[in-house]
Amino acid sequence: MSTTPTQTVLTARDLTRHYSVSRGLFQPSAEVRALNGVSFELEAGKTLAVVGESGCGKSTLARALTLIEEPSSGSLKIAGQEVAGASKAQRKSLRRDVQMIFQNPYASLNPRQKIGDQLAEPLLINTQLSRSERREKVQAMMQQVGLRPEHYQRYPHMFSGGQRQRIALARAMILQPKVLVADEPTSALDVSIQAQVLNLFMDLQEEFNTGYVFISHNLSVVRHVADDVLVMYLGRPAEMGPSELIYQRPLHPYTKALLSATPAIHADPNKPKIKIVGELPNPLNPPSGCAFHKRCPHATELCEQSLPELRLIDSRQVACHHVEVINS
Amino acid sequence: MSLLNIKNLSVRFGDANAVPVVDGLDIEVNEGEVLAIVGESGSGKSVTMMALMGLIEAPGIVKADQLQFDGHDMLSLKGKQRRKIVGKDLSMVFQDPMTALNPSFTVGYQIEEVLQQHLGLKGKAARARALQLLERVEIPAAASRLDAYPHQLSGGMSQRVAIAMAIAAEPKLLIADEPTTALDVTIQAQIMELLLDLQREQNMALVLITHDLAVVAETAQRVCVMYAGQAVELGHVPMLFDSPKHPYTEALLKAIPEHSLGAKRLATLPGIVPGRFDRPHGCLLSPRCPYAQADCKAQRPDLVPHAHGAVRCFYPLNLNSEVA
Repeated sequence: MSTTPTQTVLTARDLTRHYSVSRGLFQPSAEVRALNGVSFELEAGKTLAVVGESGCGKSTLARALTLIEEPSSGSLKIAGQEVAGASKAQRKSLRRDVQMIFQNPYASLNPRQKIGDQLAEPLLINTQLSRSERREKVQAMMQQVGLRPEHYQRYPHMFSGGQRQRIALARAMILQPKVLVADEPTSALDVSIQAQVLNLFMDLQEEFNTGYVFISHNLSVVRHVADDVLVMYLGRPAEMGPSELIYQRPLHPYTKALLSATPAIHADPNKPKIKIVGELPNPLNPPSGCAFHKRCPHATELCEQSLPELRLIDSRQVACHHVEVINS
Repeated sequence: MSLLNIKNLSVRFGDANAVPVVDGLDIEVNEGEVLAIVGESGSGKSVTMMALMGLIEAPGIVKADQLQFDGHDMLSLKGKQRRKIVGKDLSMVFQDPMTALNPSFTVGYQIEEVLQQHLGLKGKAARARALQLLERVEIPAAASRLDAYPHQLSGGMSQRVAIAMAIAAEPKLLIADEPTTALDVTIQAQIMELLLDLQREQNMALVLITHDLAVVAETAQRVCVMYAGQAVELGHVPMLFDSPKHPYTEALLKAIPEHSLGAKRLATLPGIVPGRFDRPHGCLLSPRCPYAQADCKAQRPDLVPHAHGAVRCFYPLNLNSEVA
């Protein structure tokens, strides 16, 4: 396969996922719009970070990208292949190309299976390799993520949290997927271990030229790993663009608030903290207009009434009626 | 005189020969001061405060030369006397607010219970004070929340209720054990600000247990860094962050992505924190320390005071870089 320098591995257009939620026997069911019109492109070897608070639709997006759940509408292309309408066999090969890592590696590893067998399972299912070839590949992968050969025969409970995340990473990367979706991969780890695992992520990306979708609520981690950032609020994109641009000069009021709320060792004392009131609204009963208007310090009547569309401003997309006024 | 004085505290689980989980810890907290205890999981930061609160049960063994809070010797206090202090002058906020509140009782009832136990308030007076407290912790529509059950509240709201309960009797010392770890960033900022407001308003001492150095940098006055059950460095903010003396403190700071802006890789310490059963013979950090010498592997260093704090290392860093 030819690897042109800008190969798009993942294209999402207006991805939407709605859930219907039962409200009791005689009530009509309610609809939760967990994901609402998310579009992006991901190139091989690049990282897109998805940030936002709990309930913003980050994990729903991950489930849609990994084909765990079908999106309600919108289109998703993995390595140029449209997912909707793909045959069973095509889907099987698409699943091979998109792998996932979860927050808690202890819950995502089988406690009763040896590490070596767990790492070999993707190869057993998806390739024609012989037993000894599989073993060889697993050993090579284990070495690459910093595990020792004798770990092959051990069970998940014999490892520390950081090692387990290495195992999960090895299992996800052993088929050399085009896309890796990582859902809060370092949130459960201590700072020094987090740094080790993040470095491993970057090493593997360089080695295999994988596209990463990195879901996290930790903005300082995101700044380190991401090429592009997608900030989400209540299922909708608020701001999306190149990482450095957004960190240097956030435009959306929510992005500004998130960055301001993130504690820093060497915080700029001249920058006043933006105080943001209230909590995320109930997704069953989202506010009219812009979902952020109830907490936004710049909200006007317009924000209550109409939903802001994503607009291209200063090389990134922003969904806010008053971007120009706020940032002038 | 300091409000809290801990000298040579050790906590073990098992028999008297078991490896201590907290080893030779000295901590002092003054009135109205914010002290942060920082460390990774297993460093003993929570166990220390549990020992102070008397929450360590058999087979846990707590030993100390001194465990004094506000003139009381917390080690010799028994049941009833202890309960007069704990929850009143000394109270605690935990990491997970959902499990800290009792799911079977309303929020109002749980706050009133504290008021009745410690201040003798009953009936309408207790309810009025409970309402005041909910308003103080900035819960919207506080009056209607008094009759809410914990499951009807969000994580941030529950943490506010837990804080309301903890400050109900105007404690002299509040221990907050990872109070914002389970919360989102914007909510974390709100809760930290609330805690600091309360601390200033009531001139309450605050011990903040956390693993997040950035939170510490923005809130605390003094820091105690713990590693594998020992305090490795004591110092003031921001000096400790600008010129860390202990290699572990330095490594923790370097491992934060904020520190390596633009760098492709983060600086890391190899390996992991030693467990209870694989503690090295010498300095506990020696197998991971980039500066370790032969004597580090043979002997354990003591916590040695210097001009602006204390450090447990034979070869402390940045000692000379300080402007006297």
